[in-house]
Amino acid sequence: MAEKINLKKIERKAYTSYHQDGLIDVFAGFLILSFGLWLILDMAWMGWILWFVAVSAYAAAKRVVTIPRIGFVKFAPHRAKALVTSALIVLSLFAFLGVVAFMQTEGGGTPLWLLFAIENYMLVIGVSVAASFCVVGYTFRIRRMYAYALLTLIMFVTGHFLYYPLHYYVILLGSLILLFGLAMLVRFIRRYPLSTTRSMGDSGNEGQ
Amino acid sequence: MAHLFVVESADFLFLQRQTGLTWGNLSSHLSKLENAGYVAIEKEFIDKKPHTTLHLTDKGRTAFQEYRQSMKQVFDDLSV
Repeated sequence: MAEKINLKKIERKAYTSYHQDGLIDVFAGFLILSFGLWLILDMAWMGWILWFVAVSAYAAAKRVVTIPRIGFVKFAPHRAKALVTSALIVLSLFAFLGVVAFMQTEGGGTPLWLLFAIENYMLVIGVSVAASFCVVGYTFRIRRMYAYALLTLIMFVTGHFLYYPLHYYVILLGSLILLFGLAMLVRFIRRYPLSTTRSMGDSGNEGQ
Repeated sequence: MAHLFVVESADFLFLQRQTGLTWGNLSSHLSKLENAGYVAIEKEFIDKKPHTTLHLTDKGRTAFQEYRQSMKQVFDDLSV
């Protein structure tokens, strides 16, 4: 008897196979690493600018590395909606916290919660970055993002008690993710060499 | 069809990777599905290379859903 068709499993397989190239890890690792390096130079704003460059570079890398090897797929619109919704939730949360902090500071003095956040900045940054990894992991169905979230939490909670400068942890975290991403990319390229597969209806006689 | 059902559209290579079928086998299946009106096939050239994009038609989606319903019914009947 034919096996029951598990559409969720098939959809998940299609989705995860599209992200097994490690590119998202390479770009995330590179961005975090570069952010750490800019912190040393006291030019953290450069790290934010790089985000915009990285997004377009990521799309180009997908076109050059991934699509020729495993093909192109356009996912159902609800996936894109989930991505936009997740991004909006995260951005709104940060914007809301920023506005509240600004208004309370303007109202006279620094609020207690902001003082607490500044005092425990390692924990705040760790939780924020870990939460961002969780959102990316949930949206793209990439389980290893949860491992990165856990790694981030462990590193920054440890950092909270060790009192080393922030950029040490940022650079270490970025390097680890970048190395893992590169390893995945190499494995992906070896596993899926450039396809010589003909397209449907292509007689394979071109150039003869 | 299940692989096309869960996405909006996909190209031939992606389907081949997902299903693990050979070029000839998959091509044969898709031609039959196209003749039945279940799959729409669009061919174009990208960088002078032939590129085939496929998606399920409305008729194909309905037929697949009906097939799933009937299979579910069969499994339910068997488990009673």
